[in-house]
Amino acid sequence: MLLIRVRATFEKCGRAKYISHLDLNRCMLRTFRRSGIPIWYTEGFNPHPYYSFALALSLGFESSCEILDFNLNEEMPFEEIRDRLNAVMPEGMKIIKVAEQKQKITAITEAEYGFSLSAADTDRLYSDIQSLLAKPEILIEKKTKKGIKTVDIKPSVKVMSCEKTDNSVDMTIRLPAGTQTNFNPTLFIDALRNMGGETFEAEKIRRTGIFCENNEIFS
Amino acid sequence: MLKDLIEKHLLEVQKPSRYIGGEVGSVIKDKSKVDVRFAFCFPDTYDIGMSHLGMKILYSLTNERENYWCERCFAPGEDFEAVMRENNIPLYALESLDPIKDFDFIGFTMQYELSYTNVLNMLDLAGIPIFAADRTQELTQIVVAGGPCVCNPEPLADFFDIFILGEGEEVNLELMDLYAEMKKQGASRDEFLRSAAHIEGVYVPKFYHFMYKEGGTIDRLEVSDGAPEVVHKRIIKGFDKVYYPDNFVVPFTEIVQDRASVEVLRGCIRGCRFCQAGFIYRPFREKHTDTICKEVKCLCENTGYDEVSLASLSTSDHSEIDPMLTALLDYTVSERINLSLPSLRVDNFSESLLEKIKKVRKSGLTFAAEGGTQRLRDVINKNVSEEEIMNTCRIAFEGGYSSVKLYFMMGLPTETDEDIEGIADLANRIIDLYYSIDNRPKGRGVQISISCATFVPKPFTPFQFEPQDTREMIEHKQKLLLDTVKTKKIKVSYHNPEVSMLEVILAKGDRRLCKAVYTAWQKGCKFDSWDEYFNFGKWTEAFAECGIDTSFYANRRFEYDEILPWDHLDYYVSKEFLIRENKTAHKSITTPNCRLRCSGCGVNKKVGRECF
Repeated sequence: MLLIRVRATFEKCGRAKYISHLDLNRCMLRTFRRSGIPIWYTEGFNPHPYYSFALALSLGFESSCEILDFNLNEEMPFEEIRDRLNAVMPEGMKIIKVAEQKQKITAITEAEYGFSLSAADTDRLYSDIQSLLAKPEILIEKKTKKGIKTVDIKPSVKVMSCEKTDNSVDMTIRLPAGTQTNFNPTLFIDALRNMGGETFEAEKIRRTGIFCENNEIFS
Repeated sequence: MLKDLIEKHLLEVQKPSRYIGGEVGSVIKDKSKVDVRFAFCFPDTYDIGMSHLGMKILYSLTNERENYWCERCFAPGEDFEAVMRENNIPLYALESLDPIKDFDFIGFTMQYELSYTNVLNMLDLAGIPIFAADRTQELTQIVVAGGPCVCNPEPLADFFDIFILGEGEEVNLELMDLYAEMKKQGASRDEFLRSAAHIEGVYVPKFYHFMYKEGGTIDRLEVSDGAPEVVHKRIIKGFDKVYYPDNFVVPFTEIVQDRASVEVLRGCIRGCRFCQAGFIYRPFREKHTDTICKEVKCLCENTGYDEVSLASLSTSDHSEIDPMLTALLDYTVSERINLSLPSLRVDNFSESLLEKIKKVRKSGLTFAAEGGTQRLRDVINKNVSEEEIMNTCRIAFEGGYSSVKLYFMMGLPTETDEDIEGIADLANRIIDLYYSIDNRPKGRGVQISISCATFVPKPFTPFQFEPQDTREMIEHKQKLLLDTVKTKKIKVSYHNPEVSMLEVILAKGDRRLCKAVYTAWQKGCKFDSWDEYFNFGKWTEAFAECGIDTSFYANRRFEYDEILPWDHLDYYVSKEFLIRENKTAHKSITTPNCRLRCSGCGVNKKVGRECF
């Protein structure tokens, strides 16, 4: 039987950021069914369309780079798949492109996040951030399957940009991601908050990129 | 903007996607271009309310009209309610995220008595005066209600401007048309209500004044402002041709009934004497197979649901059930859609029907036997014989089923200990039957689940006159049932009797109960249908403080010649018929179903044609 492996990159913005990962699964199933694209079904006792997301996205985060893999059992131009899905997607979700699957999911090493930290005194917040980053280690408590573990995230945080505006400090950071280790940007944000410096609110957290070894964009 | 304020706190609560809208299928309009805004409120959480078929029908129907905009609104969960109250977020509708207090209509669907306090809580959260008398004279914020509970809306009468009796598909639009017209003319609230009272199906409670006798029963009803003496329920003209939505709002979060649903018939031919739905939705009408198939296909394609259920009071009573299922299965099997068939009856459960059901679902079988002995089943007119139950179980067991769920009621009129013991006896005979069948499922034991509800007499049924068992009687019967069951192959579960005790008071109550509903809400009662929130103690306090003797409503026989709180509302079934059926019940005589013989309930006279 013909089986074509396809990878879609999609945005999850606006109200769609409140769709949990579990709900997103159900939502995509229905989106596929509405679109009428020839998606491949598993052949077991309970046939269901096969599709998977490369990385889970935390509830409340936006993203411009979510990855959805699925299979087709009939040829269809990538643009048509994109357009058919976009015609029936919920508000805030949009397929940016559909292409072949170049890398394996296991090739993912990092994800990039942008966020905005709003505060009354941005100068103070900015220097808080600098002093946090200057520390020899940034210890955080991470919940794992085996219980709460103390982890040093200092070696894992790559700050790509950190800019002051009138009422916020906007940052872009990269963190380990993939099938092995996943760090959530809230770990960094919480570490900053735990310093007890300038109070702030974290807003507009958004995943902006998924990367493999050598800074190559995952695709 | 309200949206920003909501979003600021949304991640603090469980399942936030319930509170922000944006679902596929939701209807967005330009509010500057609509004449009437209708907030369709379900007095329970999103998960439950979004499962309600009536809302889906009326939502789509209203939104078909370009200049009317119907939006959805639900009761927030406790966590989000706290957030709303703390941050002054008024109750808002999910499409526009605008506060519902600015809407023209705030419409509630009253599906069960235990949601009454949620209505008050939602009005309060919205910033709308809870008592209708406290609302502005301006023509806005008309608070209306429909649904089965409004067949006796008196315990809610102080809180609503209008009750809509019967089927809403036509009368809702007529009401909105009148509103739009009178709004243009600059009419006041009272002027509108006086005109609205002349639309068939519209009941304006403030024009009806009850006088009571010394003993507490109703002495007489005075009608003012030119409103009609009797308000008739509405039924739509052609059921097969009636509007049915081609799309549903598809939620992100999982809801209770998370599937497409097509209504296959309305009304019921059976006449079970305890069943309110069986009487208030008369006459029996069905959709043609072609219509049903078309609607199933259309809904599945537009929503993307991979499951569809057939909605009705008794699906197997559809005259074309076999060809209908054959046609539906052709489509659903090829499209990998699950077809689910709730509401099947045991007596017309054929082998060919079971074959079809087996194709579509693997879950257990549930039968509503309702009474443990034939005598009692005859009293309640559940025309199901033990032979039929056994026969159906045999077919099911031979077809590979090894578990059966049986529904019963406890506290039915004329019930004795013998009838309760009969429940266990019946279950035991089903077990014996299982082991007598040679080709039963191999290597599996049989499991019988008995689920027992407490009987609640309801208005517009032949049992409307009946008292409910007292707490002592119910507790005695529950204990007796548990003592009678002596095998682990039978599992018994029953409902909290206090829930049924409250239900009957609210179901059969009069207007004097409004203040108790209000007091209970003030004491913190809400989500009364949820076990974790239900607090009978607070309700008992509320009744006591309002000087209400609950046994007057719950445990007293209402006389045939007594003026009942709902006697001025006409649900097409005549009181003479209900009295006749009540008397027949006490003689343990059954009444055949409507297809076999007309029982003369009076509906055909009102509709102007024979039902069959």
